[in-house]
Amino acid sequence: MILKKKYFLSFILLTLLTVSGCRSGGLPTYYISEDIDFGFYKKVAVMPLDNLTKEKYAGEIVKQVVISELLASGLLDVMVPGEVMSAVNELGIKSVSAMNTSDINSLGTALGVEAVIMGSVEEYGEVKTGSFSTPQVTITLMMADTSTGSIVWSITKTRGGASFMARHFGARHETISETVLMLVREAIDTLSY
Amino acid sequence: MLSVTSKEKGLMVTINRQKRQGLISVLIMFMLCFLVLVVSGCSSSGVKHFMRPGADVSSVSKVAVLPFDNHTSDIYAGEKVRGIVIIELLSRGMEVVEPGEVNRALIKLKIRSLARASREDYKSIAEELEIDGMITGSVETYGISRGISVSYPEVSIGLSLIGSGNGSVLWSTWHTGGGADFWTRHFGVEGRTLDQASRDVVGEAFEPLFSQMKKGTMLLIDDSK
Repeated sequence: MILKKKYFLSFILLTLLTVSGCRSGGLPTYYISEDIDFGFYKKVAVMPLDNLTKEKYAGEIVKQVVISELLASGLLDVMVPGEVMSAVNELGIKSVSAMNTSDINSLGTALGVEAVIMGSVEEYGEVKTGSFSTPQVTITLMMADTSTGSIVWSITKTRGGASFMARHFGARHETISETVLMLVREAIDTLSY
Repeated sequence: MLSVTSKEKGLMVTINRQKRQGLISVLIMFMLCFLVLVVSGCSSSGVKHFMRPGADVSSVSKVAVLPFDNHTSDIYAGEKVRGIVIIELLSRGMEVVEPGEVNRALIKLKIRSLARASREDYKSIAEELEIDGMITGSVETYGISRGISVSYPEVSIGLSLIGSGNGSVLWSTWHTGGGADFWTRHFGVEGRTLDQASRDVVGEAFEPLFSQMKKGTMLLIDDSK
């Protein structure tokens, strides 16, 4: 009788573990230049992000969150976005995603910033998993030093999907906005390490 | 050696059984509480914001709410949220320039796009409207989203307070709200409307700014004493 109970309990535990699906926490792939003192960077410019999704405003949405979170983190001051776009136009930079070292240097001088943040949004939207959809967002952010043009920080991160409790017990799952906010916050947190 | 009678043995068995049943009840209650807590979803409402160090926001009493950037599929979302922001500011005792006056000033100063507005442009707007600051913003999400089993309102906004002195950002935040609550998800209770969710998001987003303003005013009162 006791043996039967033990088997039953083990079976339930095994089923729970299998059904829960060991979802990884979206481990970030990031690079941070070891030989650079990040205290040197006081003010940055956030460039428009490349939108590689079907969502028309995904790049703009993530850019707004990046600016807000950078400011809120207290790590860096951020240039007014309008000022950045004016400088891009004045310098005749046609494609922000294809900026070379000389463009980055010129932007740094024109705006008086120590670094520029560039990047892209690879995924933004609902992903169908089985019978229901959940939000999923993937972003890549890079920080380039305006004096050297070299990348000093870079990260690619994904977040989304429903948790075990949400799938099976109807627990609350994140909205797409919450997913973006948490994703950007986690990405920026790596700057403070 | 004390001999235990069959009656006493029976009594001990009963006590043990009662103890075990009590323990099981406690365990079941504990598990139920845990499940309710997990299923209800502990969402944090903490609004992260930026406040420029040394900025005296308590001196800002008259502002202009500039047209919002709209990043949603609802073409009027920017104007709707702008209206809610104006009402929120007025209800908190701030003086707000009429939207028509703001639009007139933008046309007069030939500022076609706020996305390309420089610090000089912001200074010109402030001079033209004789204001202490400007609220700029964007609407990232405004609509009804579909969850696993229910639909819910979702609103996300970015807000900034630009100082009239040097045209720099004094305060900034990005906040999101909405989602289905426990009662809607599990018992089909009618949730918040999109309008209510928008008002809540705007109110929560402004909370840190106004608490800072209040603190600043308190400090000024203390200094005058």
